[in-house]
Amino acid sequence: MVRIEVEALTKRYGYGRARGLPALDGVSFSYEGSGAIGYLGPNGAGKTTTLKLLTGLLRPTAGVARIDGVDVRVHPKRAMADVGAVIETPEPYPSQTVAESIEMVSEFRGGKTRNIAREIGDLHEKLDLPPLDQRTGRLSKGQRQRVVIAAALIRNPGAIILDEPTNGLDPKERILIRNLLSELKKDHLILMSSHLMQEVTEICDQVIFINQGKLLLRDTVENVATRFQSRAVDVEFAEPLPLERLAKLGSLIRTVTPLSDRRYRFAFDGSVSTRAEILTNCVGIAPVVTYESASLALEDAYLSLMQANGNNHPAS
Amino acid sequence: MDLAQLPSDFAQWRTAFARQWRFYLRTSRFLGLLLFVLIVVVAFTAVSIYQHDSGASGADYMYGAAGELGTFGIIIGAFIGGDAIAMDFGSGTGYFMLVLPVKRLVLLLGRFAAAFVTSLILIVVFFCVPLLGGIYFWGVAGIPWLGFGESVLLAALYALAVLSTAFFFSALFRTPAVSMVATILILFLGFVIVDAVVGTSLGYEPWFSLLYAGSVIGLPLVAQPHHTVMTTHIGAGRTITTHTWFPYIWEGVVILVAYFVIFLVISAVIYQYKETKG
Repeated sequence: MVRIEVEALTKRYGYGRARGLPALDGVSFSYEGSGAIGYLGPNGAGKTTTLKLLTGLLRPTAGVARIDGVDVRVHPKRAMADVGAVIETPEPYPSQTVAESIEMVSEFRGGKTRNIAREIGDLHEKLDLPPLDQRTGRLSKGQRQRVVIAAALIRNPGAIILDEPTNGLDPKERILIRNLLSELKKDHLILMSSHLMQEVTEICDQVIFINQGKLLLRDTVENVATRFQSRAVDVEFAEPLPLERLAKLGSLIRTVTPLSDRRYRFAFDGSVSTRAEILTNCVGIAPVVTYESASLALEDAYLSLMQANGNNHPAS
Repeated sequence: MDLAQLPSDFAQWRTAFARQWRFYLRTSRFLGLLLFVLIVVVAFTAVSIYQHDSGASGADYMYGAAGELGTFGIIIGAFIGGDAIAMDFGSGTGYFMLVLPVKRLVLLLGRFAAAFVTSLILIVVFFCVPLLGGIYFWGVAGIPWLGFGESVLLAALYALAVLSTAFFFSALFRTPAVSMVATILILFLGFVIVDAVVGTSLGYEPWFSLLYAGSVIGLPLVAQPHHTVMTTHIGAGRTITTHTWFPYIWEGVVILVAYFVIFLVISAVIYQYKETKG
């Protein structure tokens, strides 16, 4: 089982007087075993910087990043032995074919020639890769992203570090990657940054919120969802419903926003008991088809944390 | 998967070398250089018909070919190695390669070996056509084989030195295209100007110049004086003095080895510590 650990990790860009504010400021966390960790924050929060420090692409100003107890800066080969990573927008050699790009990575990782074709075949199927004899320089962004993800997964590394893995992919490709990661997290440790709350909610078990280089919150998705419970619910009734019939909800709700003739958004105090009472009362008024938070819990958590942290322009 | 399953540094070097070499052979710049070299040497061989008729020896003829390699070697080296390191920091290649469990030094040495072998192919082509021409005009006995062999070895050493220097400039820049253009300008024009000013005009031996050291390639074929001074009268009692310098062979070898070692070490250090920020 792989262990990913960062300890008081700090990164400042520039030198001397040009040295600016820390892009990353004393961030610490550690994970071991399997599961998926979502790394969230607005643009410039320090997400990619952390992942680059973890993969040896950057050198820390202070602190240490370790994988399986090995300092990435001191022994990058040993540290990255069991890690597959996709950071920013990797590009294989443009003149290499899809198969050659993945083969090369496999060879660097010790893949045996007799097994490489089978391993690539598996990934080809799982990731719906473009034709293996196609030059990577001629691939679309989405195709290339799937190829580099395949290269990161070849030889089945225990830890997978991904920087916005579905960035630039179309909806079908996103679902493909999302399903693959959901499957992989059962026996791999996945650390992924993302802007997409839906994606993180669906894939990740744990989340880390970061802003202005500082770690704001680290918890399970479940705990975060409970803590930052949505303060609005969307209710869809089975039949069109005039607004007057909702008077029965009385003081349980603060405001009502009609979304359609059958669908309404109710703002309330956010407590679990009120949420349950609203549902009970709604069922008493008319059959309810759907009853759901007006926004994702992680989205609420994200917005609350960013506002509390003085960031009024959280990334979408 | 753990470290025990990872290949040795040497096995990874072989992978880096083989993949990079394949990459070089597929690039249009290699095909362009091959065409360029072929045009130059075929033209040279054609002109040598005149040399043959004028009574020059096979050694003189071969010296003419080898002597040109100083300039063409720089063009070859700059085009092949001019973006070898910058490609990892100016494009997404670094994000693909530098997160792998491979030491950067191993990647660098693999690339260097691939660049060297690619350059060597072009150098061999550069020598082969004139050699065939020489055999045709002067016969096998008319070719100074020992000197020719030494000349080829010196050309290989020169390629190592030029590539090392090109790798160094490539390590300084982040954009592959800028890196390549800068390398060509610095190595090609820079050394020509320095040699002309310091060596030819001021009369100091340009021992620090790569291009000067490169002129050693033809010397096993035809020996040249180390220093020649020529005074030309330009009228009204005024004269211009110009100096021509050729390195001793041992001196040229020392300069080339120094370029090769020093710049390769500096390149490796820069590559090791360079961050992928873009």
